[in-house]
Amino acid sequence: MADKKKMTVAEILAAARAKSGGGAAQPSGPATESAAEPDAAPAAEAQAAPKAKPAPKPAAAKAAGGARPSVADILAAARAKKSADGDEEGGAVAVKPKPAAAAEKAKPAAKPAAAPAAAKAAAASAPKTGVQRDTASILAAARGGAKPGPVSKAEAPEVAAKLQAVAAKPKAVAVPAEKAVVVRTAPAMPARPAKAAAKKDGEEDRRGFLEIAMGSFMAMGFTALSVTGGLFTLGLARYMFPNVLAEPPSRFKVGFKEGFPAGKVETKFVPQYGVWVVNGEFAGQQQIYALKTVCTHLGCTPNWLEAEQKFKCPCHGSGFYKDGVNFEGPAPRPLERYAIRISDDGQLEIDKSKAFQEELGQWADSDSYVTV
Amino acid sequence: MHSNGFFLKDVAGFLGGYYTFIAIMNGVAALILWRRKNQPGWAITWAVVAGVMMVLASLALSGSASLVPSLPLSVRMLVNKLSGPVLYTLGTTALFTVLFVFRKFFVKPMVAWTVLNVALVIMGLSMADENFASIVMKADNVPIVGLIFMLAFFTWVATSQAVVNDERIAKGLPPMEKINDEKVLVWPDLVYTELICMVAVSAFLLVWAIFLQAPLEEPASSVKTPNPSKAPWYFLGLQEMLVYFDPWYAGVVLPSMVVFGLMAMPYLDFNKKGNGYYSIEERKFSYLVYQFGFFELWITLIILGTFLRGPNWNFFGPFEYWTPYKVEVLNNVDLPQMFWVNLLDRPLPRAPQGAGLLTQVGTILLREAPGLALLGAYLVLLPPLLAVTVFRKFFARMGFVRYMIMANLMLLMLTLPLKMILRWTLNLRYIVSIPEFSLNF
Repeated sequence: MADKKKMTVAEILAAARAKSGGGAAQPSGPATESAAEPDAAPAAEAQAAPKAKPAPKPAAAKAAGGARPSVADILAAARAKKSADGDEEGGAVAVKPKPAAAAEKAKPAAKPAAAPAAAKAAAASAPKTGVQRDTASILAAARGGAKPGPVSKAEAPEVAAKLQAVAAKPKAVAVPAEKAVVVRTAPAMPARPAKAAAKKDGEEDRRGFLEIAMGSFMAMGFTALSVTGGLFTLGLARYMFPNVLAEPPSRFKVGFKEGFPAGKVETKFVPQYGVWVVNGEFAGQQQIYALKTVCTHLGCTPNWLEAEQKFKCPCHGSGFYKDGVNFEGPAPRPLERYAIRISDDGQLEIDKSKAFQEELGQWADSDSYVTV
Repeated sequence: MHSNGFFLKDVAGFLGGYYTFIAIMNGVAALILWRRKNQPGWAITWAVVAGVMMVLASLALSGSASLVPSLPLSVRMLVNKLSGPVLYTLGTTALFTVLFVFRKFFVKPMVAWTVLNVALVIMGLSMADENFASIVMKADNVPIVGLIFMLAFFTWVATSQAVVNDERIAKGLPPMEKINDEKVLVWPDLVYTELICMVAVSAFLLVWAIFLQAPLEEPASSVKTPNPSKAPWYFLGLQEMLVYFDPWYAGVVLPSMVVFGLMAMPYLDFNKKGNGYYSIEERKFSYLVYQFGFFELWITLIILGTFLRGPNWNFFGPFEYWTPYKVEVLNNVDLPQMFWVNLLDRPLPRAPQGAGLLTQVGTILLREAPGLALLGAYLVLLPPLLAVTVFRKFFARMGFVRYMIMANLMLLMLTLPLKMILRWTLNLRYIVSIPEFSLNF
């Protein structure tokens, strides 16, 4: 499926090139087909190639991956091949390549060899097109880390020299001498602009002015930045002490002792203050105490169940007696108490800034309860 | 809540469609089997089942509340009465054991299909119960229902392939995966499949989002906790664990150990078999340990937390009304209390008032001595003991470090079921209970 798609792109390009006259030097293939096409086209061509000579692997890999301009050649080769075989397949566009996978399965060795083989096939059928480059030059360009673009006339001798060296190496793909080696011509690159001259000491120009100006601007900028930062920090510090505090005060009065009859758990302070005021018995003594409405297991708010006479947490089922002592579920310790006292006007005053924990023996502290 | 008659009328339309779906499902199965011609008996069976489902569908759609097929009230009451966390956990364990031991029977397609049909019909009959339906049809519980069926399906797929492979391996043949091991490409084969899945799932979620309303609740308040207060569904296993443990252990240590253990698995595994194909016989230990941890300690706890835990985190039967006033008698005690007070009949060791820190710590250590000794024996003595008895071969093949990691991970995993059993049988709250330093185990 994929190969069909890929081949179709190659096909279209080949067709387009055929339409445009197909002789002149062409710009190298579009960037998008840099990696995908070289693989697909040669793979398809591998079957068409007269004989897939096993080529050294690194060379093949470089040809497939590194040398981008080979696309143009391969496409040209494909076009040439197509125009040659066109009569039997019915036009270049209709050519259906066999999936490359099939070829791979049949001949696992064919894949590494495919790219050079295809390129060679292209070289073999090149004379028709007139403009062609051989595999060796591409490989040489790729291997030498040279400019991967088309080889200009000026560079031709160098390429030829490289080609010689490559042909001499056992690794490289030697090109038979009888095959025509045509170096593609391309317009020479424009002359490289001269480098900017180094500035001489003491010479004043626009850049020098900028440098001087920038220096002072930098100083100004950093000064402004530090002043702003300082002001911001001051503002932030002020922000920490708001004029109006929306949260309820930690000290509040809940009314007179008489409002809390024995055995009653007062739940009306829960929404605002998170406190149960209980008149209950603890350690054999009738006390009024303020229990914090936070479960000691994981911090949910338990509910007071009047019928069952217990605090029950909805999260994991912890249960506490009226005196706040845990007895069921996972809660590991009793509910905490807040400080409570009788204020000067006789009302009960709760102070949430102080908490008393039973397991630390703090409930014996007389600040944690008011005796009835 | 509206009365039962109104409820049944509401749910009848859904149930009609539901039974029709089961009928079509069975009809298609019958048709396929009939075409294949090798199992005509089963084809006829499924055709009959399809017919029965059509009858149920028409009863549900009849418009009369009394005709909607449902479980008899006595059965529902019995189920409610019998169900509890103990029976649920032991029952699921027994169920998984049966499924595992007789897996060769249960993976047969016709048996699996029968089980699916039975499950679907029980589900349909239960849906006619108002309490059951109100929980199951809650928008955030619907995925759990899907999860149960999908887990069952995928487990069946894997197990049936493992059974086939085990039979082939026993005969000396290569596993199925080795025969048909055609490679496919990531691009485009896998990526295209993923793209198609993505589009399909997005479409499905869109429809779901339109038809199932978001379960929005009242504005949050720090002093009002919803009752029951439930974690997201995937954390309900964790929440259930928290019932038995202190937060630092069930919320921090155990989940970290789960992640750590999953990462450690490939390094602990020395069994070279079963690589790239399904097999149970060749890696029984790994299979059982993983399935126990996943199914028993994760999935069943999620299902328990989702469907069976109601207000105040009490256990409710599947057909029970979720009343916040349900009273369950629980009186948990810590191990020191049991040891010092109940067993030795003397008061808990207590540091004298105003004692120094050293005295306090010493007293606490004395108080917790039985629990600490038990825990130490469990985590320190048990691994070597297992190494020379049950895991002798494992120890020989894994070496000291790997074996110790494996043994400790396993023992930590087993703390959960052990603690659950201790809670149910002895009402034990904590083995080590040091509330002074928030250290409880």
